[in-house]
Amino acid sequence: MSGIKHIFGKEMARVFKDRKMIFSVFVLPVVVMIGIMGLTTNMAKKQAEDIESHKSIVYIQNMPESFEKFLADNGLDYNMKQANNEAVWEEAKTEIKDGEADLLIEFPKQFEEQVASYEAGQDIPQIKTYYNPSENYSAAAYREISENILEGYRQMLLLERIGDINEVTIFTVNSDNAEMIIQDDQKASGKALGTMLPYFITILLFAGAMGIGTDMIAGEKERGTMASLLVSPVKRNAIVLGKVFSLMAISGISSVIYVGAMVVAMPKVMGGADAGFDVSLTAAQIAMLAVLMVALAFFYSAIIVVVSVFAKTVKEANTYVMPAYMLILIVGMITMFTNKEPEFSSFCVPIYNSALVLQGILSGEVTMAQYGITLGMTIVLGLALCGIIVKAFESEKVMSC
Amino acid sequence: MIEIQNLSKVYKLNKKQMKESKLKTPQKVAVNKLSLKAEKGEIYGLLGPNGAGKTTTLRCIATIIKPSGGKIFVNGHEVEEEPEEVRKSIGFLTSDIKLDPQFSPDYLFDFFGRLHKVPQNVLKQRKKELFSYFEIGGFAHKQIKELSTGMKQKAAIAVSLVHDPDIVIFDEPTNGLDIITAKSVTDYLKKLRDEGKLVIISTHIMSEAQKLCDRIGMIVDGKKICEGTLDEILQKTGAEDLEDAFFTLYRARCQAGKGVQ
Repeated sequence: MSGIKHIFGKEMARVFKDRKMIFSVFVLPVVVMIGIMGLTTNMAKKQAEDIESHKSIVYIQNMPESFEKFLADNGLDYNMKQANNEAVWEEAKTEIKDGEADLLIEFPKQFEEQVASYEAGQDIPQIKTYYNPSENYSAAAYREISENILEGYRQMLLLERIGDINEVTIFTVNSDNAEMIIQDDQKASGKALGTMLPYFITILLFAGAMGIGTDMIAGEKERGTMASLLVSPVKRNAIVLGKVFSLMAISGISSVIYVGAMVVAMPKVMGGADAGFDVSLTAAQIAMLAVLMVALAFFYSAIIVVVSVFAKTVKEANTYVMPAYMLILIVGMITMFTNKEPEFSSFCVPIYNSALVLQGILSGEVTMAQYGITLGMTIVLGLALCGIIVKAFESEKVMSC
Repeated sequence: MIEIQNLSKVYKLNKKQMKESKLKTPQKVAVNKLSLKAEKGEIYGLLGPNGAGKTTTLRCIATIIKPSGGKIFVNGHEVEEEPEEVRKSIGFLTSDIKLDPQFSPDYLFDFFGRLHKVPQNVLKQRKKELFSYFEIGGFAHKQIKELSTGMKQKAAIAVSLVHDPDIVIFDEPTNGLDIITAKSVTDYLKKLRDEGKLVIISTHIMSEAQKLCDRIGMIVDGKKICEGTLDEILQKTGAEDLEDAFFTLYRARCQAGKGVQ
């Protein structure tokens, strides 16, 4: 036991006595992550503001006077251009394609007369709009004019035709129902959390330990410092466990810092509590999360160590560990975009089960059986990997560089 | 005491290694049925050219690698059966084993002291004695990576002796050291011998072996070709010094080898 403690202490000292290491392992990733998120949000916000402040350039053919008046009455100001002949029409299309104009509206000739003289059974006049969905200004002009303003104009003409619009409305849906949403707010915020956090937790637990883990084993072999431990009277399993436990602690600490920073900083960076990071967990949820995170940190550390122990250099270890990291990334993504209720057999698939259970804990939907099998499997696999590592430590072929 | 009985070490080679070693069989015999006995209170020198099997023998004693055949007893403990007990009683130093460059000699001395379960007060006393003897005090708190080769070697020697082992095994201990540092190391080994400890060194420097070793075992191609005190070897070979003795024996072995072929 004392051997494990001393090895653990040395590995922790390697990280915590080195300011550069503390900065690169615990601070820099958080700063980079929040910085990227903040920058993306800020840029998206600026882009939205720019689109909003842009005065749409709209070509219009056969503009009816009533539409012109409708726009003026509602204070809608666009850069309107007439496209009443073939040449301008083609020019308008080219400009929309090139992103120089935003929308082309085609009214039928004598639109107002057609509307006014309509009788049951006649063809309904059609207004056509043309836009470029790959241009932000054009897409925004389409949404605003084609989907909203023309609808307003239609309502106005309808009112003129029949006097009381309620006669043709028949019924409305939720036009005056502020309490239409019935949900458990905690569960709902958990759902948002449950989508994002398992992904981040599983990735960060692994990523936090990856760089240090490969150096801790393959780096020590490469530098020739592992042999100094191997000639000490400490048992091989104590060396292995000391290293795995220290890696677990580093991975756990880093993921707690990352997740904590994310929960605290993200709403501020991404704008308000509606970003879906409202955290309100019960004591039971916290306990379940904590225990699973410890087990996961153990399992992931064991994966990193088992990969590193068979590598001769840090470079080689980093190459070997990358597929495992990719697997964890992909599995995390699968749980992020799966809505279907998972079957019980899914909880027997290592790595995938832990992401499912993390999601289940946060949304309060996990059963004790699902939690138990996932936790048990994670610990057993971690122990099995430790067994392999101990065997590798006893092999002169594996341990010699 | 160390007793080696018919030690053999055979390495399996892959195709690349076979090509590099110019061998036709996928095996390389590094040590071939080597037997020797070294008693406490003596400095035993393993002498031989590069690749003779000296380091392999020492690594087998230190439990870093496992013998392919034969037995090694260290203070009565067999290396494969009781490796932890063996490691408790030896201090092992080789150029392959390095101190962690990120830590200071002071930290590593304490760390290995704790691994060897040296009581705190004894550890303090050992540190004072060894750091003073090897003049480590001036760089005790610097990181290993900041030290010169000589400083690193002094620190490595001090750390390997932290637990005051009964048996000290040093593989080419003066390799790469300047003449002053080398002298301080050999003097310390004599001091350990005088304190009743068993010191085993490997070297290919004949003058060092001649001055330092009480008994010498010469190894060529994994086989012991001669063993004895300096006088016994000189008498046996009729040579004037150890270097001449070595070449006499080496030539005789080469001729015998040709004869067999």
